[in-house]
Amino acid sequence: MSQAHEQNDEHGSMQSYVVGFLLSLLFTFIPYIMVVNQTFTGTKLLVTIICFAMVQLVIQVTFFLHLGRGPKPKWNLYFFISTIGVVAFVVGGSIFIMNNLHYNMSPSDKLKKIANDEGIYQVGGKATGACQGQHANHKVTIKNSAVSPLQTDADKCDTLTIINEDDYEREIAFGVHPYHDVYAGETELVIRPGKSKTITLSEAGTFSFHDHLQPETSGKFTVSE
Amino acid sequence: MKEFLVGKLTWDSLPHEWTTIGGTFTIIVTGIIISVVLTRTKRWKWLWNDWLTSVDPKKIGIMYFIAGGVMLLRGGLDALMIWLQQALSSGDSQGYLSSQHFQEIFTAHGNIMVFFVAMAFVFGLINYIVPLQIGARDLASPLLNTLGFWLFIGGIIMVNMFFVFGGEYAATGWLAVAPLSGKEFSPGVGVDYWIWSLMISGVGTTLGAINFIMTILKMRAPGMTLMKMPLFTWGSLCSMMMAVTIFPLLTATLFLVYFDRALGTHFFTTVGGGDPMMYTNLIWMWGHPEVYVLILPAFGVFSEVVSTFSRKAIASYKSAVWGMIGVSAFALSVWMHHFFTMGAGADVNAFFGVMTMVIAIPTSVLVFNWIATMYKGRIRFETPMLWFLGFMAVFTIGGVSGVMLAVPPIDFQLHNSLFLVAHFHSTVIGGVLFGVFCALSYWFPKFTGFRLNERLGRYAFWCWIVGFCMSFIPMYVLGFMGASRRLDHYDASTGWQPLFILMLIGGIVIAIGVALQVAQILASFIQKKHLLDTTGGDPWDGRSLEWSTPSPPPFYNFVSIPQVSGRDAYWEMKNHTLPKQAYEDIHMPKSTGVGIYISIFGTLASFAFVWDIIWLIVVSLVAIIVIFVIRGFSEDSEYIIPAHEVQRLEEARIAKSPLAINTYEGNSTDEDMGLRELIMVVYKFVMDIIKNKRWKKW
Amino acid sequence: MVGQAISHHEEEANDRVMFGFWVYLMTDLLMFAVLFAVYAVLHRNTVGGESGHELFSLPLALSGTLLLLTSSFTVGIAMIAARRGNKAQTLLWFGVTFALGLAFLCLELWEFSTLIGEGHTMQTNAFLSSFFVLLGTHGIHIIFGLLWMGITITYIMKRGLNSNMVRKLSMLSLFWHFLDIVWIFIFTIVYLGAFV
Repeated sequence: MSQAHEQNDEHGSMQSYVVGFLLSLLFTFIPYIMVVNQTFTGTKLLVTIICFAMVQLVIQVTFFLHLGRGPKPKWNLYFFISTIGVVAFVVGGSIFIMNNLHYNMSPSDKLKKIANDEGIYQVGGKATGACQGQHANHKVTIKNSAVSPLQTDADKCDTLTIINEDDYEREIAFGVHPYHDVYAGETELVIRPGKSKTITLSEAGTFSFHDHLQPETSGKFTVSE
Repeated sequence: MKEFLVGKLTWDSLPHEWTTIGGTFTIIVTGIIISVVLTRTKRWKWLWNDWLTSVDPKKIGIMYFIAGGVMLLRGGLDALMIWLQQALSSGDSQGYLSSQHFQEIFTAHGNIMVFFVAMAFVFGLINYIVPLQIGARDLASPLLNTLGFWLFIGGIIMVNMFFVFGGEYAATGWLAVAPLSGKEFSPGVGVDYWIWSLMISGVGTTLGAINFIMTILKMRAPGMTLMKMPLFTWGSLCSMMMAVTIFPLLTATLFLVYFDRALGTHFFTTVGGGDPMMYTNLIWMWGHPEVYVLILPAFGVFSEVVSTFSRKAIASYKSAVWGMIGVSAFALSVWMHHFFTMGAGADVNAFFGVMTMVIAIPTSVLVFNWIATMYKGRIRFETPMLWFLGFMAVFTIGGVSGVMLAVPPIDFQLHNSLFLVAHFHSTVIGGVLFGVFCALSYWFPKFTGFRLNERLGRYAFWCWIVGFCMSFIPMYVLGFMGASRRLDHYDASTGWQPLFILMLIGGIVIAIGVALQVAQILASFIQKKHLLDTTGGDPWDGRSLEWSTPSPPPFYNFVSIPQVSGRDAYWEMKNHTLPKQAYEDIHMPKSTGVGIYISIFGTLASFAFVWDIIWLIVVSLVAIIVIFVIRGFSEDSEYIIPAHEVQRLEEARIAKSPLAINTYEGNSTDEDMGLRELIMVVYKFVMDIIKNKRWKKW
Repeated sequence: MVGQAISHHEEEANDRVMFGFWVYLMTDLLMFAVLFAVYAVLHRNTVGGESGHELFSLPLALSGTLLLLTSSFTVGIAMIAARRGNKAQTLLWFGVTFALGLAFLCLELWEFSTLIGEGHTMQTNAFLSSFFVLLGTHGIHIIFGLLWMGITITYIMKRGLNSNMVRKLSMLSLFWHFLDIVWIFIFTIVYLGAFV
């Protein structure tokens, strides 16, 4: 049984403790100096010092705890690795979820910023207020299945009003038939005869629209920044 | 001065409301009856030496079953009260329970069923069966075993303590969501009882889990590699690995809730920067894997039962093992599905929704494995097999409804509705509870040496299944109709009342089933001789090592540790000649009261924390440390049974045991006592006592 | 080992106990994980009060770190002596470890009392709640470790060193190393993190 325990790596020698100690000192001082001198800042620095901590963890686990050098099966090592995994999940998962929750449940003043970030200028027919200030309104009329004007040029945050002057319902969809794209959060505008609907032009680019029930009735609009 | 001595306790803390006095009365009267019986029969010493201080996992297992059984009755009573209230309280009627009381009841129901019934039975089974299955004499640490059990009992005491002091339990739902559980909204001691009963039993569970893992990994018989272990052991290993991972999370979270209440910190408060959503996040990180902790041993039991009763080896051992490992691995990655509606974005919800659906995959691997095992088997429909088939039906419904709930848009409609309640009851009752009943009827002959009454067992099973369907299928329907959970009253215009009444009737049928189970046990003991196991310990023609021991096994389990060569170790042995047993010295651990002493002080400390009795907190914690130190430095915890003594014990046992006919012939159940016969026997017994005034002898 | 042969039975028991203790340490690590997660989520919630940037002293934190790190080193030396059966050296190096640990504890208590004296208590806001509970839990573990060390040293002085004692010392040194490892992350995430 003795198997000359002094030779068995599982318990370690003076050498391993000294090396581990010196390395740990190094990996403590380096991040300390980096933070004190602010060699760089923000997320980059945070990630760096956490990496240093992880390395020091490995150093201490190897040189002080001699993990993984015992006889097989190396249950200690496996348990340690799986625990680290769970810790990463617990901490990382919590941060991931809580950040997301806070982002989506911010007070109203922060909501404007979110709407701007995500290009949401209109919700349920009402402007979110992300588009501030005065903007122009462009009218497009559909009569006798003809769209006029065929091409509208507008600026971002302008509004576009589509008026249906025929006597049957129109289902205005964006994109080229038979494809329906989403524009400014809208897939389809159902416009009753004699009525109109308005959207905020929140995305820049060139887009087209058509009546899903009568695809030849179509038009285009270009939105510039 | 008075505050220093007794903290927040006042005369008002003693029970004085009619609703709780019933419970108080029952506890006190039961305690008196038990004490009187023990004194009259002079059994205190026997109880202490042979049972309470025992470190034998078989005895501890039985004690877990008894505790779990009693708490099952208590939790079931809570359920009946809930059913009754919901059936009555429609429209003008307010039912018979106050809102506050109703909330305390469903909270207690949930806590008791999960922590003190399900965990109790699981731990009891693992304690008794796993050492036998792996060819060990005891668990790795007998001390931790008894300590874990008594801490669990401490938890039971704390969860029932309000019947004696305080009069109120938490009214927050079984997981005490913040900020409702904070000091502002739950100023009484109810939530404190909740915290400390879970805390103390949680520590017991963690210690127990560590013990089981050590045992399974380090104490298997020579030749039994991991891939040769019986599937119940595998289920227990996976379950305990998860338990050891998640219970520390619960302990830490409970401490944070306690600090918010007692020290005024701001972890989960609505002011001071606290974040109640973080509580929900943390508690479900524990809560979800917990249900997998409960179900995996049941999966293990079913794997063994289906194989034994189909008279075939499991269809694919490897995939069954990987199925269990798969479930455990994914269990830790899905917790967010309990709060899809809390406001996270679609991407976060989608990730967790997908992960939840993924868990259905390893689960199905197991289910198809069982079906494949039955295919072309020669199936026997004794009670354990009936419970298995019941499980397949009910658990599948529950599992499938779970996959539905895993889809966030669907969950937005069904979150916290009765659909959810039906889902988790289907999986927990159909999975865990049926698994426990299956295991108990399967291994009962091993525990006692005689089998259970088949007839009453069958009646009980059918009552359970029919009652369950009557009670929980309407619940799915009600969920779709918009009924939310935890309702103590609803409008008559909803039209829900007929369904609630149907649920109540189902509940009564289940109660009849439980009564039949109690009758079954009684009848089995009465008819012991007829039901005796004459196969020498192997009544079902089993495949794993526990069946190689006599029933009940001697306290040292095996005369000599068996040498294992293949899977289904005992099956291998049966088909070859058993080697002659050589007697050798056996090291056994001594009984110890350390577990009880530490738990007594632990329970006192918990009580002191609830009532702010500072001196008692200090004294109890110091006492625990002192006991630990004394025990830690004692070197006298084992004793040796010399080989000749083992031989003598064995020969005495063989002389006393029934003639062992070493072949399985199938059990004839025709002469099993029926219900009418049982009632007649009991009636005659009671009449005999009254007529002959036998009580004068006591 | 200690020069004496131990039976196979005892060696198996030793192995089991050490493994069990290791699993316990993993559960302790998971408790700390919750406290770290809570700190990570709540540390910005100062409700207008001072953040770590204004309250913490990096030199103080560094001193504590160095004390604890050195003590982790000295406990390793102590274990080498213990396994060689050298009672005097074992007592000496455990004594040094104890002193360093005690110094660390005093430093931390001084920091706490200063903060509390200035009105920054755990009841002030969520950031301080999570700070005090995280560091406080670590501190309580240190106290337990010191208590354990003190009792064990006393026992060795009276009853000498045998294989049973060496096993108990192994668990203690494991515990002590583990506390230093947790402190690395407290130092990095709480102290250094406040100044990032």
